[in-house]
Formats: sequence, C-alpha cells, structure tokens
Amino acid sequence: MDKDFSPPPLNDQDLDALFASAQRDTPELDPEFLTRLQVQAVAALPDTAAPKLPRLGVFGVLSQIVAQFGGWPAGAGLAMAGAVGVVIGVSPPDAVLDITSAYFQTESLSELSGIGFEAEFNWEDS
Amino acid sequence: MALDASQNLEDVELLARFAQGDRTAAQVLTARLAPFVFTQAFRMLGDRAEAEDVTQDSLLRLWHAAPDWQPGQAKVTTWLYRVTSNLCIDKLRRRKRHSGEELPEMPDDRPDMERRLQDRARAQALRAALGDLPDRQKQAMVLRHLEGLSNPDIAQIMQISVEAVESLMSRGKRSLAHALAPQKKALGLEDDG
Repeated sequence: MDKDFSPPPLNDQDLDALFASAQRDTPELDPEFLTRLQVQAVAALPDTAAPKLPRLGVFGVLSQIVAQFGGWPAGAGLAMAGAVGVVIGVSPPDAVLDITSAYFQTESLSELSGIGFEAEFNWEDS
Repeated sequence: MALDASQNLEDVELLARFAQGDRTAAQVLTARLAPFVFTQAFRMLGDRAEAEDVTQDSLLRLWHAAPDWQPGQAKVTTWLYRVTSNLCIDKLRRRKRHSGEELPEMPDDRPDMERRLQDRARAQALRAALGDLPDRQKQAMVLRHLEGLSNPDIAQIMQISVEAVESLMSRGKRSLAHALAPQKKALGLEDDG
C-alpha cells in the first residue's frame, strides 16, 4: 500500500516568518549608484531655462536670409534690381541692343573696345 | 529651491518642480524614490545588478513622464510600483528563456550573524519558491507580503479587480506553502512555532 510521504504544507505563521526574513534580507542601495542616479536625473531635467527657438516657416527662413544682406531695405533694393534685370532681358532698350549685337558680332574683345592686342602686348617695341 | 524646503514636499509637487527644471527637486526625488524602487525590484528579482537596472530604467521613465504628469492621475509611488513590476516581469521572462536562476551574493558585515544567516537562508528559499510561481502570482505576493501594500492598491497597480488580487494571492500562498514544506526544519521554522 502506497503512503503519501509529502510533508504538510507550511501554515500562515511559517509563511509570515519567511516573508519577515525576506524583508530584513533586502540589501541597501549602493550610495555610489544613488549618486549616479542623481546625476542622470539632473541630466534628464527638461530644458526650460534655455529659450526655445521658434520654428521657422518659409517666411522665417527668407527673413533670415534677407537679414544676412542688410535687412528688408536692402532686400527691397535687391528685389528691385532683379525686377529691372528681368525687364531689360525681356524688352531691352535700344542702347542695350546695340551693345549686345555689337558684342556678339565681333570676334574679340579688343575689337569691341577698340584696343588692339598690339597696344597691350607691344612685343616688338620691348 | 533650497534642499530643506524640498524635503518636505510631496512626491507630486517635487515632480512638478522637476518638470520645471528644478535640480534640487531632481536630487531629492531620486534620493527618496530610488531606494523604494530598488527594494521592490530586488524582492522580485533577487539579484542586485538586475534590480539596479530596473531602478535606473524606472526612474528614467518617471523623468520622461514628468512634463505630462497630471496631479490627479495617480500617486507617484503607485505609478512606480506598476512600472517597476512590469520591468521585473520582463526580466523574469527573459531569465526563464535562458539558464537557471542564480541567487545573489551579498556582503555580510552586520552584527547578529546567526539571525542574519537564518534570514538569508529563508529569504533565498522564499525567493526561489516565488521564482517558480507564475509571474502575476509572484507580483501580487511580493506587493502584498514584502511591500506591505493593501489589496486595493495592488489591484490598482496590477490593473485588475480586488477579487482577482485575492485569488492570485490565495493560489500563490498555497503554492508556496507546499513548495517550502520540505525545507521547514532546515529553515528553522519549527523553532519559531
């Protein structure tokens, strides 16, 4: 005949004694580890002291570029110059036409300016 | 803010100051909460190094949560219990996938050596038996019998009903009572009787 030799389970008092021992047996936090945690906590602080940079839209980016060249007055001048350039390109005045046609019909800069190479590089005289 | 004044503030007030960039609040809150988190983690894991990992991770999560913390949402400690428990369960599951559990070695430099040795032996036996419980049972048992929390608090932390907590603890206690029965004499429990 088989007998059950398993011991009787612990009672509540036994279990309480084990839990009490486990509570006492918990190690303390290492002070060096605590110091590291404090350093990490300070490093994790939200950066509220530094002013946040506003997000720049297209206009903001343009403002920054214009500021590099002297602000909006200079920007306005630049824009005007650009517009005049476009007008001249699309509908050039006669004087401009004369100069460009003269330029593109000549073979060298010296002819256009009326100064010959001989005047500049007077090899034989030197 | 001055250190002394910060010591008297509630956790949630310190956390609000932390969110505003207060260094003192960060240091005071860490000194207050780290031992609490570490103790809970160690009791669940039984390993100092792993408990330190969990402590570090839990606190980092708290710091990240600080700016969006709603004062009425939960006690800081309840929130930490939940995060720490979950991180410990993750560690336990990972550990089960690997080799057997090794019990930690701890320095023994206190007086009352005999009592300390008995506590050590009992704590190790208990941790080993707890380690064999299903994770949720273990979590409930640690929170109730080692951390000393009430059943409603445990229910809130584990996000289950109080009845479910009672059920988990009843089964956990029964399992422990049977698992540890063969060691009763060796653990000196008959002398307590």
